[in-house]
Amino acid sequence: MDNLSLVIIEIISAALAFVLVRFMIKPYRMTGEARYLGLPLGFAFLGMSYIFMGTSLFFSDYLNVERMQWLQLFTGAYAYVFLAITYYFSAKVYEKKINLLMQFFLSFMFLVFIIVFIVIFIPPVFELPDYKTLDEYFRISNMILALYVTICTLRVHARKPDQKTIMAPLGYTLLAFSQYSFLVWSLDASYSAFIGAHIIRFAGLFVFLYVSYKAIIARE
Amino acid sequence: MKRVRRDRLKIYMDVLLVIKKESRGEKVVLTKIQQKSNVPFDRLKTYLSELKNLGLIQDINEPQLTEKGLEYLTEYQKVLDFMKRMGLTY
Repeated sequence: MDNLSLVIIEIISAALAFVLVRFMIKPYRMTGEARYLGLPLGFAFLGMSYIFMGTSLFFSDYLNVERMQWLQLFTGAYAYVFLAITYYFSAKVYEKKINLLMQFFLSFMFLVFIIVFIVIFIPPVFELPDYKTLDEYFRISNMILALYVTICTLRVHARKPDQKTIMAPLGYTLLAFSQYSFLVWSLDASYSAFIGAHIIRFAGLFVFLYVSYKAIIARE
Repeated sequence: MKRVRRDRLKIYMDVLLVIKKESRGEKVVLTKIQQKSNVPFDRLKTYLSELKNLGLIQDINEPQLTEKGLEYLTEYQKVLDFMKRMGLTY
């Protein structure tokens, strides 16, 4: 598979993630509870990370794309952190302090994002660590966070087994597995793992699209 | 067992759902809404007045869902179903 095909997959993945944001924002808009805000933010950051990945692949022959790769790394990590925090707070009995904690967390993440941006775009001030090593650590942490979300959703399914609730754990498992494939690619430069990671991630996003379609559109 | 406090949105939706179920060609009696939505009578009156101000029901004494109320309830049920499918608890 050439770079152009991978770029197309990245663009379609990003489009899917941004379409999903439209559905994922509904729980927050309906309830007004900040604890659900991580869901649309998570998918928006996923979409952004795919765009940065696609850009770095597309311009890999012409430009120094290291900064794009760094942005891809951080936006991807942000996505999984937001998703995990949403499921963490969702499992708790709702109290006002959860809203406050979530708002504090969002402000903190915003601050970190600004710092990251400065670090990436003003390299003379801060020396960047080795990208490849950090990429592997980030993949591992993304995988752990995606697995945590999978366990949270599985717990909900186990409490009241239903056909409806099995798709979300499947989607998150696929996202976790795609991170594992990216890790394998990073460790041994296996091109098949790289392509596999894209395909698995694609399947994961389709699962969420199916869930959204069944709940919101097909119900009409 | 720990009692879970319902927030205002949940109470509104429970009341609207009872009104929808009970009003199928019949007059809706307030005591029935009160019993089925598990809300004290004095507070039910307040909630019904708030729902009327929001344009979700037509009348306080004989409540019927408006078009807007029905749309809102449908949207709420869709989002609840979506949250359930996504493994989110509410």
